[in-house]
Amino acid sequence: MAVLQTPERERTARGLTEPAGGPARRKTPYRWSALGFISPGVLLVAVLLYLPLLWTTFLSFTEYNGLGDPDWVGFDNYGDMFDDPAFLGSLGNTLLWVVGTLLIPVGIGLGIALLTWNLAGGVWLRLPFLIPYALSGIGVGLIWSFILSSNGALDQALAAFGITDTPRWLVDAPLNTVVMIVAAAWQGVGVNALLFTIGLQSIPKEPLEAARVDGARGFRLFGSILWPMLRPLTAVVVGLSIVASLKTFDIVQGMTKGGPGRASETLALTMYKETFVNSDYGLGSAIAVFLTIVTLLAAILYLREQLSKKHEL
Amino acid sequence: MRSPRKTGGAVIALAAASMLLAACSAGGGGGGGDGATTGTLDFYTDKAAWEPDFDELNETSEADVDITLNTTGYSDANQYDAFIKQSFRTQKSPGLFTWHTGSSLTELVDEGLIAETTDIWSKAIDEGWATEDLRETYTVDGKQYCVPMNIAYWVMYYNKNIFAEQGIAVPTTWEELDAAATTLKSAGITPYYQTSTLFTFQWFQQLVAGTDPDLYNALATGEAKFTDPEVVDIMNVWLEEQEAGWFSDAGSTVDPAVGLKQGDYAMINFGSFFNGSLDGAGMVSGEDYGMFVIPAVNPDLEQTPVAVESGPLCVAESSKQRDLGLAYSAWWMSADAQTAWNAARGDVAFNPKAEVADPMLAELGTTVADGQHLLFTRFFEAFPTPIVTVAIEQFGAFNANPSDPVPFLETIQAEADKYWADQE
Repeated sequence: MAVLQTPERERTARGLTEPAGGPARRKTPYRWSALGFISPGVLLVAVLLYLPLLWTTFLSFTEYNGLGDPDWVGFDNYGDMFDDPAFLGSLGNTLLWVVGTLLIPVGIGLGIALLTWNLAGGVWLRLPFLIPYALSGIGVGLIWSFILSSNGALDQALAAFGITDTPRWLVDAPLNTVVMIVAAAWQGVGVNALLFTIGLQSIPKEPLEAARVDGARGFRLFGSILWPMLRPLTAVVVGLSIVASLKTFDIVQGMTKGGPGRASETLALTMYKETFVNSDYGLGSAIAVFLTIVTLLAAILYLREQLSKKHEL
Repeated sequence: MRSPRKTGGAVIALAAASMLLAACSAGGGGGGGDGATTGTLDFYTDKAAWEPDFDELNETSEADVDITLNTTGYSDANQYDAFIKQSFRTQKSPGLFTWHTGSSLTELVDEGLIAETTDIWSKAIDEGWATEDLRETYTVDGKQYCVPMNIAYWVMYYNKNIFAEQGIAVPTTWEELDAAATTLKSAGITPYYQTSTLFTFQWFQQLVAGTDPDLYNALATGEAKFTDPEVVDIMNVWLEEQEAGWFSDAGSTVDPAVGLKQGDYAMINFGSFFNGSLDGAGMVSGEDYGMFVIPAVNPDLEQTPVAVESGPLCVAESSKQRDLGLAYSAWWMSADAQTAWNAARGDVAFNPKAEVADPMLAELGTTVADGQHLLFTRFFEAFPTPIVTVAIEQFGAFNANPSDPVPFLETIQAEADKYWADQE
């Protein structure tokens, strides 16, 4: 690393000579000052990220109610976790979130980017989709809860048109998870459209013009030219979407609190409930470790697979 | 030979680990208290909405015992509980904080985290400021811990205009209550409020205790099972009422007080602290809404069971403000303090000598103490926390999708089996 390069190396590289004994005197102070600069950052990362991670991993092998000392129980929490129907239900809901957020916000975001990309004033068409992104997830949850709750805004609007036999949007499973994915899409579609637009704008003009000269239009142009050239960006957008959906929490907490019963819980919500509602810190930590491993594996495997295709980068 | 870079890294890592361990272990044990019994007392509560009421009380406490509360209110109960538990690992454990009775209190007492209040209780009983029944709620292994912040009876609130329009008198028997619900339903009015989150347990507790108080207590102590035929029968009564359309849509997020005001339903089974919410919604106590003790399901019961809850004010044993917190707790029990608190908050009083501002609440306090009523601990405090958590979820699911109650009861019993097995 450049910052750790010693002065004598720099001088040698430049063909300069050193007076005898000079470099030896400066070597140690330089290294210590470098350590001085990086140590606050290292300390922050260690204290705020790595130590909590290690502590959580340790807790996942214990039985602990937040008071006194944790009792070591080995892999019991992991066994309990997979024996619990609520955990398996929440795993299923989380997978539904992964699939749903890939289909809806990523898909619609790509569509909006393609439709507005070459349009004069396209930025003004994309702008309204971006505004919800400024809201917090819990805020989006509260707004959509108001709209979708029984006899809420949507039901009342439909009743004005004589439609009274409406589904119970937030009560019936898995409908409640599906409508929450729609609510999340409302928030996330704009940023996906923006990212895809940036990707489209970065495509060189020559191959596009060549394809158009050859008569490629519409789906043909998209399938043969745009989609392959968007691959690096699609990989990032999809990767981010997978990670975000695996840790879905705030919007579900804001809309259904995982209910009724535990019908719409996601893994992140189950982790929260076990830890802070049931005071079962061991089981909550085991779920946290499981979620971390799944998220990291999904992100690393997917991005490595997608971004390693050099010929398409 | 170890390089300077590695040595430096090891030093930093060691320093970080030492700091963390020091932070984790600080203040873990030992009695607290700096001896001061006057001054400003840091007070933490999950009743964030009550903060103005606590502030209003400062004028009286300053004059009486020279203590001022510095209140920090949390609006998320789970976040608050986690904060309090973590605070015991630091040197900043609270001088005064709100908590829960039942297994949550026992949990803290077992770890030696709570200051004993036996002397305060002895004086309160001698002065006639509290009842023996209430003292029992605060007793763990023969000693008392914490003092009661409030007391609430779980009764039925009703919309007086709707009752008047439908010609319904306040029910005094379960049959009359059923008749009222039938009349309301036939008039197109939903009789009862219900929800699928948090407050999902009250109808269960009412039906079980109103049918057989001993069964309720046996369930709470693990001597009976949720899957016992008697419990299934009781749940089927609830199911029949659900199928008759007597309960509101559990998926509605309309504020329950607003719902009662606008006639979405005619009755709500809630704690007597609900007056504050109804007043806030613009209803007038005794004019727009009334309350009555829910009659026993079983007419043969000699006393009508009434669920009671009491939330404690506790002092951390290791707090630097331990003595100040205990001094405030002692004052809090007095009739003067409770009269001032009642004027500020508007609630029933646990101290029989306190003056209750709201005549309807005063009457409720007199009614339940007439010997014709049996006070039983609310579900939330009577049952162990893990069972309560699962039961609330299952009752919520039952409210949302009323159907065969057995699978819901089996899920609750599975958690109960696990809990009681761990206690052996």
